Amino acid sequence: MAGFSREVARRIFTEELKSSNYSFRDGEDQHQYAPQYLLTPTGAKCNRVFMVGILTEKDDIGGDTEYWRGRVVDPTGSILIYAGQYQPEAAQILANMEAPAYVAVVGKPNLYQTEDGNIIISLRAEAIQRVDEETRNQWIMDTARRTLERLQVLSSTSPAPISGDFATADKVSAATPAQDAQRAREHYQTDIGHYRQMVIRALTSLEEDLAKGRSKAKDLPAAPTAKPESGIGESKIGSKAGIEEPQAAEKATQAAKKSRPKKSESLNAWPEQESDEEVETFHIGKKS
Amino acid sequence: MKELVDQISARLKEQNIQVPDAEIESRLKKLIEEFRVPESEARRSVLNYFFKEHGVMPQVRASAEKAVISAIKEPGKWVDLQVKVLDLWEPATEAISQTGLVGDGTGSMKFVKWTKAGLPNLELGKSYLLKNVVTDEFQGRFSVKLNRTSQIELLETEVEAKPASLAAQPLKIVEISEPGRWVDLTVKVTQLWEANSDSISQSGLIGDDTGTIKFVKWVKAELPNLEEGKSYRLKNLVTDEFQGRFSVKLNRTSQIEPLDIDIEVGSQSVEFTGALVDVQKGSGLIKRCPVCKRSLAKGVCSDHGKVEGTYDLRIKAVIDDGRRVQDVLINRETTERLVGLTLDAAKQMAMEALDHEVVRSMIEGKLVGRYFSVTGPRVDRYILVESINEAAPVTVSQINELMATVEV
Repeated sequence: MAGFSREVARRIFTEELKSSNYSFRDGEDQHQYAPQYLLTPTGAKCNRVFMVGILTEKDDIGGDTEYWRGRVVDPTGSILIYAGQYQPEAAQILANMEAPAYVAVVGKPNLYQTEDGNIIISLRAEAIQRVDEETRNQWIMDTARRTLERLQVLSSTSPAPISGDFATADKVSAATPAQDAQRAREHYQTDIGHYRQMVIRALTSLEEDLAKGRSKAKDLPAAPTAKPESGIGESKIGSKAGIEEPQAAEKATQAAKKSRPKKSESLNAWPEQESDEEVETFHIGKKS
Repeated sequence: MKELVDQISARLKEQNIQVPDAEIESRLKKLIEEFRVPESEARRSVLNYFFKEHGVMPQVRASAEKAVISAIKEPGKWVDLQVKVLDLWEPATEAISQTGLVGDGTGSMKFVKWTKAGLPNLELGKSYLLKNVVTDEFQGRFSVKLNRTSQIELLETEVEAKPASLAAQPLKIVEISEPGRWVDLTVKVTQLWEANSDSISQSGLIGDDTGTIKFVKWVKAELPNLEEGKSYRLKNLVTDEFQGRFSVKLNRTSQIEPLDIDIEVGSQSVEFTGALVDVQKGSGLIKRCPVCKRSLAKGVCSDHGKVEGTYDLRIKAVIDDGRRVQDVLINRETTERLVGLTLDAAKQMAMEALDHEVVRSMIEGKLVGRYFSVTGPRVDRYILVESINEAAPVTVSQINELMATVEV
């Protein structure tokens, strides 16, 4: 067992997770078996994510073999999770679950770029379990704490010049949280205030849930839940979440993502983008 | 002045630079007499001038500062030290003429004297002024190097320093909290492992009443072997850390004293709270070897071959708090309580399903994704769980407390 250590499951709200577009392999030699990481705007370098939310829908989108997709909602948004033949236990549990339900998901973040340049983050589930509202509440607290910690580190780094440095994305091997933070800040121009607001919103919605008492436990939680129509395809992902943000904002984000320079794709894990002339037009904070 | 000129001339000759003494003297005079430059600065300035003139890159360095050992915090600094020689070790290569430990009132540090330096030998227990030595660092530990530009002056007065044997502190295992410390431990060997490297003669676990820790004894240490179950006083071990876990290393300077008493191995409980993210293979209903109690793989014990195993119930799980992961082991008693399933019921379940994995699945269903708080002694990478409870529900006041910390 010496030398091997399990990757920590990071706690990240879906809004932040979905704003991520910077993925890389770590290690001096970036060989194909080096672990893949997603760096989020607040500087979480994640190979694994733990989240608890509400499963609002699930579909078998596979052909001959089952391939299950679910949508999990937290106070800040929603994210798609996938489980197929290579995650048989998770797939089986997802298949047998009735939405809506509180679920805990341990999964690997997956970055996918559509043909028109949109970046879609999803989770490939390693484990899915039905949990209860209390666990969901604990997760919100947990994730709020970890996010605030990361923001704390982030605010101690110096903001990068807007022009950005193209080399930074290729300099791999950020070792410490401070280095991760620095890198995240350089890449995303992270608006710290925006993410503080996100945490506050999540905590406020949790507080309201608690104030309303446990009577609603069986309902979908009041705050931000999507009322998603079922069976919507990939094309509508941006607008479909329908959380607090107006659709337009989502679209703006999507559009902005589309025009990202391709430095994040430096490791050719994803299809290359055509548009690489625009630089750093993307500001996470524009929504607040 | 003549002396200074000779010194400079000598240094220049070392670099095969021939300069008339008069030229050196006139430059020196100008600096010292006209510009009132201190002699040492003038000397350096003149030296550098001629080096540059002849295309020799002078060694870029700050003049050595007087320093004490505890103040050495970065490599590549030139310092003067007043120290006592605390220990001399056998040099590992011919490039090193002497190596060992020097100390002053503030601490002790490894030194290396290069053969090329052509310096006189240091004597154990004597005190010296080491001039113009350069600091170095390896894996967070500092040393000083004596090279050709260094000087050694024997001091009449003895430098106060803790003797080397006391540099190692007697500690309890639980007190080990940083790598690179020299410690003495009084322990019992609780486990010996197969050495997995040619450079390791023995490794395993040693314990005292506060806990257990991994040890490694290097082949090069040339120390006698430790026996499992025996107690020893181990002197002058160095602590090490890998991924947050500590170990101690026995090297050439370490000593082993067998003890007649039997050290009680205990452990201090630690607490860990987080989400249970994985129930690992080998959890649930398992079979153990009746001889060594180890779990069987397909009915086979790695030591005793095919045996008629005895059933047991246990959980190997991973708890994760978002910052680090903690492996935990939950024994049968606690497992039965936690998941509400007795060993007999588990056997029944497995029999009906013709698959013992159903027990693990059932445990997963009850535990994965939930928040738990566990306490128990830490042994190697595991916490041996004595108590496990679901984490307390979130309260409104907790939320408010957290929100109050957010600067908006």
